[in-house]
Amino acid sequence: MTQIYWHESALEHVTPPGHPERVARAEVVHAALQNLDGLTWHEAPLADRAEVLRCHPEHYLERVEAAIPNESYVSLDADTHLSPGSLGAVMRGVGGCCSAVDAVLAGDANTAFVAMRPPGHHAETETAMGFCLFGNAAIAAKRALDHHGLSRVAVLDFDVHHGNGTQDLLWNEPRTLFASSHQMPLYPGTGATHETGAHNNVVNAPLPPMSGGREMRRAWGDVILPAVDDFAPELIIISAGFDAHESDPLANLNWTADDFRWVTEAICDVAEAHAKGRVVSTLEGGYDLDALAASVTAHVQVLMERDP
Amino acid sequence: MSDKPVSDMSFEEAMKELEGVVAKLESGDVPLEDSIKFYERGAALKAHCQKKLAEAEEKVAQITLDGDGNPTGTAAVDIQ
Repeated sequence: MTQIYWHESALEHVTPPGHPERVARAEVVHAALQNLDGLTWHEAPLADRAEVLRCHPEHYLERVEAAIPNESYVSLDADTHLSPGSLGAVMRGVGGCCSAVDAVLAGDANTAFVAMRPPGHHAETETAMGFCLFGNAAIAAKRALDHHGLSRVAVLDFDVHHGNGTQDLLWNEPRTLFASSHQMPLYPGTGATHETGAHNNVVNAPLPPMSGGREMRRAWGDVILPAVDDFAPELIIISAGFDAHESDPLANLNWTADDFRWVTEAICDVAEAHAKGRVVSTLEGGYDLDALAASVTAHVQVLMERDP
Repeated sequence: MSDKPVSDMSFEEAMKELEGVVAKLESGDVPLEDSIKFYERGAALKAHCQKKLAEAEEKVAQITLDGDGNPTGTAAVDIQ
């Protein structure tokens, strides 16, 4: 039965007024998932600092910890801000991802979704950026490899922005495959097809502005999924951003909730072929609240159908 | 990114700003929150440059030449 990892600290990472990566995102995701019967809810625990250190150096973690303000906000870059509650939220996001990996590898569930914020896929080894502090998906992959002893883990990213952080964190890791579809040109400017990783372990499938579900299905069907199939992962981690939706204010792709359902089903098909159906998904972007609610519902419904 | 309306720009002005917008997007220097605005400004600049080019082509096509190849005036052309 699909597990949800959640903690109210997701509401305590507060961004400045008008910021798109806002508390209301976690509220609508939480409310949307509460409407689904058949999920098991688990507290996203605080991660041990050692989990963050799987992907980031200690001086970077210390820098983030030291920057947390006692009140108001601190800005790490033009997009990325810290409030007094940010450290708890981000450490529980990492903790939720690690617990989700533990659960699916223990056989407690086949699929899990981590409904925490802030997102993580833009955070590079020593750089917070694009609303992100720590690379949740990459950390989860490293935990599966180094703590649980898996040999191959795929991280698949359908957020509309390229997951430059995950790519950076896993660039030299031959036990992982990182694959991403994303709008190009758009932030952060990376994600070209020639970026293939140090071990041919990165696959980028950029999508043109104004393209929709047809182009997305071709990219995943012709490029990404065959690469994942060849890699034969023992676990799939999804960076689930919902900002490719046609209503999203931060991008120009035209996906619908049905497209998020399609890509989730396609990923689950590969997981069933190679990874015993094991899928851990973690929330990344998605900034139109209605579209986010509809899309996350479609995504998690598929996870539930595959893990009755 | 300038505040000048794209419709008020010369071809040279629009092209220069478009080159700057593309360079910024490719460099990753644009904040995530502003990236979409840069892309949309770039798309508007590109459309404006294409329109200016089409207008120039139309003017060139209207130039009539004498037997020695010297321009003698303009003639109406039918551009679909």
